Amino acid sequence: MIKNTKQIDRKILLTLIVFMFFFILFIKLMLIQIFLHARINTTVEKMINRENVEVAKRGDILDSKGNILASSIKKHNIFLDPKIIEDFCELKNVLSENGITFKEKNLNEFGKTAYVPIAFNVDTKLVNKIKNKKLKGIGFENKYVRQYPEGKLLAHILGKTGYNGSGLAGIEKRYNEVLSGNNIITKNRRDGHGYIIRDKFVDKSKICGQNIKLSIDRTIQFIVEQELRKTFDKYKAKKAICIVQDPKTGNILAMVSLPDFDSSTKIKDIEVLKNSAISDVYEPGSTFKIVTISAALEEGKIKFSDVFYLENGRYKIANHTIKDNHKIEGCVSLSKALEQSSNIAMVKIAQKLGKEDFYRYIRKFGFYSLTGIDLPDEAKGLLKDIKKWDVLSLPTLSFGQGIGVTAIQMINAFSAIANDGVLVKPSIKYIEKSDTKTVDNSCNSKEMWRVVSVETAQIVKKLLKNVVDFGTGKSAKISGYTIGGKTGTAQKFDPTTKTYSLKYYIASFCGMIPAMNPKIVILVVIDEPKGANYYASSVASPVFANIAKRTVQYLNIKKDDKN
Amino acid sequence: MYKSFSLLIIIIISIFIYLWQQNTSTRYAYKVSSLQFEYDNINLENDSLKLKINSILALEKMDKIAKEKNFSTPDEGSIVYID
Repeated sequence: MIKNTKQIDRKILLTLIVFMFFFILFIKLMLIQIFLHARINTTVEKMINRENVEVAKRGDILDSKGNILASSIKKHNIFLDPKIIEDFCELKNVLSENGITFKEKNLNEFGKTAYVPIAFNVDTKLVNKIKNKKLKGIGFENKYVRQYPEGKLLAHILGKTGYNGSGLAGIEKRYNEVLSGNNIITKNRRDGHGYIIRDKFVDKSKICGQNIKLSIDRTIQFIVEQELRKTFDKYKAKKAICIVQDPKTGNILAMVSLPDFDSSTKIKDIEVLKNSAISDVYEPGSTFKIVTISAALEEGKIKFSDVFYLENGRYKIANHTIKDNHKIEGCVSLSKALEQSSNIAMVKIAQKLGKEDFYRYIRKFGFYSLTGIDLPDEAKGLLKDIKKWDVLSLPTLSFGQGIGVTAIQMINAFSAIANDGVLVKPSIKYIEKSDTKTVDNSCNSKEMWRVVSVETAQIVKKLLKNVVDFGTGKSAKISGYTIGGKTGTAQKFDPTTKTYSLKYYIASFCGMIPAMNPKIVILVVIDEPKGANYYASSVASPVFANIAKRTVQYLNIKKDDKN
Repeated sequence: MYKSFSLLIIIIISIFIYLWQQNTSTRYAYKVSSLQFEYDNINLENDSLKLKINSILALEKMDKIAKEKNFSTPDEGSIVYID
């Protein structure tokens, strides 16, 4: 009986001990999980939480067909912290196996510094390979490097980014905020080995900069650049500009300014970043005559059938003689006057029009105003206040002297005629939220105002067609297509002698194709072509013809001339 | 006695279930982290490859190759346009 009682007591004791063990375990668990939970959590949070800056990837710049023109790729700088290096020989071997070498032979040679950069712009793949070796005393810095796969092509349009990744010129500058995106700080949790245990998922596409799609077509840009460069080199010109525009929408299909630069390389002279097509002001010469004629036709001061006496090539105004390069005797029609680019006829037309109306139309065509193109540093041009006009202002302006225009203003004025009299805002981009969705419809037409009536625009287009068919623009002709255009050979003003130079000229040609229903307008400007043959008909018109020929073929524009 | 023992068992099982789910969630967190890392790397590689394709297809390079191989623009008559 006593033995049995002892056995029961032992069983109870054993049960109690087991029970007590689990009870104590339970109490401890409760203490940790419930009562000490907050305190322990705070301490652990401090130990395992790390803040990490997620650098936003700069948005891509794409052409109208979606080809990448500028993009950022992740690269890494590798540095050493000599103070915490454990096995220097192993570290050196691993790095040298991966193609990274440095001159120091032992740790003492580094001195007291804790930061020794040893490699720059290293690929992620290589960095991950080195990271997997779990070496101590080696660190990695992430950064994005901007790359331009097309090299020099589009350099002035794309611009350049600075050392901190922000835009310095071109689209990179104009849309810096859109392209940049937002850097964010993420909180990571790491275990004792430094592995990330619970990282908040960051959708990087949401913090990245937005892509920008341009209206530029890289193939047309390439054609333009290639043809323009040939002439630029041949005539050893100071500068050369060419713009191709869709007159209906105002979209710029190509824009080249020479000399150019490579966006990927370091720029020594900041002047080279200036886009001459929108920032340089030049005297247009005879290409400006379309403004004089359009204004006079619109105001009913002249008719298509009018004839003009051209004073045997010399016309005196206030002790100054206006001359014609192509001397024509007797009377000529309006068309013939423009075909032969008569200055005297233009003076007479401007005199009929009057200075107030002429000034109004110059402004209406968009001169001496910013066109609003989405590129930085656009120039307004030069035009004397109408109150300060002297007796020679109206006559000289009629044939494009005494006014400073930009290439973008000039092509936009021609596009207004091509677009049946409506001036459209030139545009170079539309923004995309993602690769497929368009945020705004800036690729659609952005009509500003009507400059002249449809009838006037049709007459001017016919006059321009005659210039190419029978006049100074013959060298712009291409087979299978009708072309309307105007040449311009302007003397450059010499600020030292304060007279027009007999040595330096600007040769330009602006034309539209097909002549009566233009699909594209092309402007070519060659600044200071060297040699005896500096005329626009020899220098600028052939460039136009070469560009037009290749572009219409590329755009598959239907032939409209059976001759 | 039986009731107390059952209660104890339930409590212990609950604790172990809690610990198991904590452990599992940690394992999944590791997996998510490593997958995100992989996803980021694939994205980076994709971007870099896209850029590489564009660099290879840069028009200047294509033009150079075409010239080296003596390619020329075909005559107008030898082109057949398919509508």
